Amino acid sequence: MGNNKKVLVIDDDAQIRRVVELKLRKRGYDVVMAMNGEEGLQMIDSERPDAIVTDIMMPKLDGETLCKQTNHLKKQRPFLTIVMTNRISPNDRNWVKEMQDTELMEKPFSPTRLLGCIDEYFRRSES
Amino acid sequence: MRRMDQLHGFLSSLSSLIPLDFQIWDADGLVYSSDNGAKGSHLTEQQAFSAKVMNQAIYQSNSHNGQAPMFGMPINYGQEVIGSLIASGHNAHLVGRSEDSPQPRIYDDKRMKPFLTHLAGLAGETWANRNEIEAVAEELSLSFEDLSLYARISTHMRSLQFSEEMLKALVKELQETLRVDLAFIELPDREEYNAIVAGRELQERVSDQEAFAHNLIQSIPAQAPSLEQDYFIVNDSSTMPGYRELHPEPYRFLAVRVAHDATFDGWLGLVSFKLEEHFRQSELRLLQSMAKQISALLANVDLYHELEKFVINMVKSLVFAIEAKDVYTRGHSERVNRYAMLMAERLQLDKTQQDILNWASILHDIGKIGVPGSILNKPAGLNEEEFNVIKGHSKKGHDILAPLEQLASCLPGILHHHERVDGKGYPHGLKGEEIPFLARIIAVADTFDAITSNRAYRPAKAAEKALAVIKEVAGTQLDPKVVKAFKEVFETTLKAEFETSHDE
Repeated sequence: MGNNKKVLVIDDDAQIRRVVELKLRKRGYDVVMAMNGEEGLQMIDSERPDAIVTDIMMPKLDGETLCKQTNHLKKQRPFLTIVMTNRISPNDRNWVKEMQDTELMEKPFSPTRLLGCIDEYFRRSES
Repeated sequence: MRRMDQLHGFLSSLSSLIPLDFQIWDADGLVYSSDNGAKGSHLTEQQAFSAKVMNQAIYQSNSHNGQAPMFGMPINYGQEVIGSLIASGHNAHLVGRSEDSPQPRIYDDKRMKPFLTHLAGLAGETWANRNEIEAVAEELSLSFEDLSLYARISTHMRSLQFSEEMLKALVKELQETLRVDLAFIELPDREEYNAIVAGRELQERVSDQEAFAHNLIQSIPAQAPSLEQDYFIVNDSSTMPGYRELHPEPYRFLAVRVAHDATFDGWLGLVSFKLEEHFRQSELRLLQSMAKQISALLANVDLYHELEKFVINMVKSLVFAIEAKDVYTRGHSERVNRYAMLMAERLQLDKTQQDILNWASILHDIGKIGVPGSILNKPAGLNEEEFNVIKGHSKKGHDILAPLEQLASCLPGILHHHERVDGKGYPHGLKGEEIPFLARIIAVADTFDAITSNRAYRPAKAAEKALAVIKEVAGTQLDPKVVKAFKEVFETTLKAEFETSHDE
């Protein structure tokens, strides 16, 4: 599972990055990480990840803006986006619905579920 | 052994500077090699050499036996040998070169041993660091798992509506998040709340999951010391008589009492066939606090039902009290209630409104308790004063019930059930839409029953005729919309009933 797939993790919380990185690597994914939205945006361009996991509340550039700015890229090169947030607000649900291949996940999150969601996406996109 | 990128890079660079190849082996095979084109036969030889190094757990070399020189050092993690570091000459022409060769003589044990000791020490340290970081991260990941479970479970618990669905959802959360094969709750005296959720693998292994769960609980030894802390755990069923027999494959089992204070309701249980994992302390604590909360919620449900029953019984005796006084209206409250509810369905009132109407219609005449029996049962010819006393009953009913919080929502229906849409009713003379909708429904049902039943001040009329009267007063006394609904209910349901009971 996870062979050759690259996942970009964008979060300003080092613990979360560490846990997500470990889980993904163990499953065989390549992992690259960014500490804020601005860095994340650059890495979506330079690393061309197959999936991104991003926080909403982040310094420099928030997750919502990041998703909205990168959504158009998915037409050419689809990738999964998992948006993690502390409290899912109705507003979050609304804008996430407008995005392609984008899922919402509430924090505190379950690493098992996060991994399941990513695995599932690649299973679907391959079949 | 896991990959150690920095160390591997270092060894590769080193190999390009000095005439040595490096390999790292562990019990499963080759982990790293600085020589990408290593040959098959050579590899077999190296593997055997590596096995020897790991088995004997000390420095080994074969530089003196005329073979390709090989040197090996065990890699340790604490007391344990986790792998081996092998160095071998990588220039074939160096093999077997004589003692007085001009080549740098790095292939002797005196130099190789301390060199490899440091290198293997570095590898062991790197591995230990990686290992510890991963263990901490894994631990952290489990705490994340716990936190997420806590958060989701407390969301479920926060909803006040305790139901079978809620318990089912809780048990499902447990099964999924704790990654167990079976999660269940068994409440012997409240079987309607029992819930059981099995993962796919267990569904194949156990056909009757309820019986399996039940047997697990039944097998808990009454004297188990952990029961003092309200739990019982089996880490490996194959070592546990009583549990071994329940399934041929070994499993682990954790059960927690659903109980609070002195009340015992049942058990919450988890089963997993993955013996390589174990139940964690945090899972036990979570389960215990959940079980306690469930038990407290169950007690609340009981209290709520008791309160509800009390209110229902009280209402019944109130209704009985009016009917005991007013002999001519026996059964009136029930009939008005029935007509009103038929209309409510026709008018598609929501569940809450129907509940309110249910209470309001059965209690609409409760105020007659305050009307003297002499007036109530007078066959005919009430004077104005007496009539005013009768008219006071809707206000009185309102006042009698006002202190009961649970019935607050049905007060408007009772107070205004004698209002008329033309504003000529009582007690407030409200007009049309000003009259609460539920009161307008009760008014139609009340009027119909007043005409059809055998009242002291009016002879019985045929139901058809009563309907004709009602249609006539639609728009003056009664709300035409409600009258229309009643007409439909009459045609579909009531008409046939009146026809069959006509001769009795």
